[in-house]
Amino acid sequence: MILRLMSRKAFFLDRYERLGWKFRKVDPKQAIRLNTTNIRGKNLEERLESIGVQLEKVPFLESGYWIQSSRVSVGATAEYLLGFYSIQEAASQIPVTLFKSLKGKTILDACAAPGGKTVQLSDLMKNTGVVVALDIKKQRLSALANHLERCHVSNAIVYELDARQASTLDMKFDKVLLDVPCSGNFVTDRNWFSRRKIEDVKNNAKVQKKILTEAVKLLSDQGELVYSTCSLEPEENECNMDWAVKNLNLRIEEVNCYGEKGLTEVFGSQLDSTVEKCRRIWPGKTQGFFVCKLKKWGRKA
Amino acid sequence: MKFILQLGAKFSLKPHFIVRRASRYFLLSKALLKIAKKNFYYSGNYLGKVKNGKFFPSFNLLMMLAHGEANKIVVEKKSAWLFICGKDIFQKGIISVHGSNNKGNHALVLNEYEECLGFGRIVHSLTGSSENEVVVKNVSDIGDFLRREK
Repeated sequence: MILRLMSRKAFFLDRYERLGWKFRKVDPKQAIRLNTTNIRGKNLEERLESIGVQLEKVPFLESGYWIQSSRVSVGATAEYLLGFYSIQEAASQIPVTLFKSLKGKTILDACAAPGGKTVQLSDLMKNTGVVVALDIKKQRLSALANHLERCHVSNAIVYELDARQASTLDMKFDKVLLDVPCSGNFVTDRNWFSRRKIEDVKNNAKVQKKILTEAVKLLSDQGELVYSTCSLEPEENECNMDWAVKNLNLRIEEVNCYGEKGLTEVFGSQLDSTVEKCRRIWPGKTQGFFVCKLKKWGRKA
Repeated sequence: MKFILQLGAKFSLKPHFIVRRASRYFLLSKALLKIAKKNFYYSGNYLGKVKNGKFFPSFNLLMMLAHGEANKIVVEKKSAWLFICGKDIFQKGIISVHGSNNKGNHALVLNEYEECLGFGRIVHSLTGSSENEVVVKNVSDIGDFLRREK
């Protein structure tokens, strides 16, 4: 059994090395995101400091802070319960910031629970427009609803719906956020290597392709789609983006955010050169993450 | 609504923006009303739910009420924290009282920054009781967000 576990870990570590990253143990700091709409006129940093929470600004995020040290649980302060901030890993705060001009727009958050990014969208929209948030699991919807209520989100509507059936909504969206279900990574899951097999990765990649295909049907012609995962596996990231570019009439947009260029060569296969516009984040200061912004090609004359 | 009267609040919402889903009530914007399908799980501002004929307000509704005229008490830091933990309010923890302080009425409980933490039932005079007497019984507080997760 131990040998099997070791070999599974060794299998993934070998893959990472072949992709250009050498495994090391990392322990990213807990991060929070200020809900700017709710803290207008309040000096939240000072208030948190007064109760023993020392913050460090995340250099690549506008409203993100790492918890340097804390005498209290940041998930149980009055300020947290009043919706002044959310606990959200630093890398996972990136995808929403890639959208341009969110105010007043109609947005789909297709895999929304537990709602960190839904709340972030609403915050950047200043509660204008509409966010349609979907999730497939009822239990997760209750966590999502609590999050929305706590953070005073008033522009969202939540449905229990599989993202692969999102076209039943019969709507068009200016922006689509696909923070798709993925294999995750070893930073946030201590038992990741013992729980994951390459078959899981391949199955997740298939589901992600289906979600992408469905999402494109709902995206308006000028719309923006942001795809993200917290997986390190290229099958769920660069390979899916390569597939989307070749099969879904999408193009990858340049983004200016934290992370390295997307891989264009994966285990000997050459991907579309534009895949390098994606951003891959190997674990370090943050967990592992992948993000990509896509748009539809204009109609051909 | 009886609950709003007990809080001494002057407050009204346009009925056509209020949508009922099973026992829960939501306040929807015009944009949300336009797209909302009957089977939504949550939408707009959650107002509260009815259980056994009794209305349980949401914290969003309490916050809306706190912005207007209503029975309110402002409490000091320690009392605010204990209230969030589900405890009652002692006379000595009160900094100021706004609106009615009649026994049996409800009052919103605000912290030193005048942020609404929940509400309680007035059980003793807010001004004439001894300082170690419980004057407001906790009915609902924002610590509920944590208790729900368990």
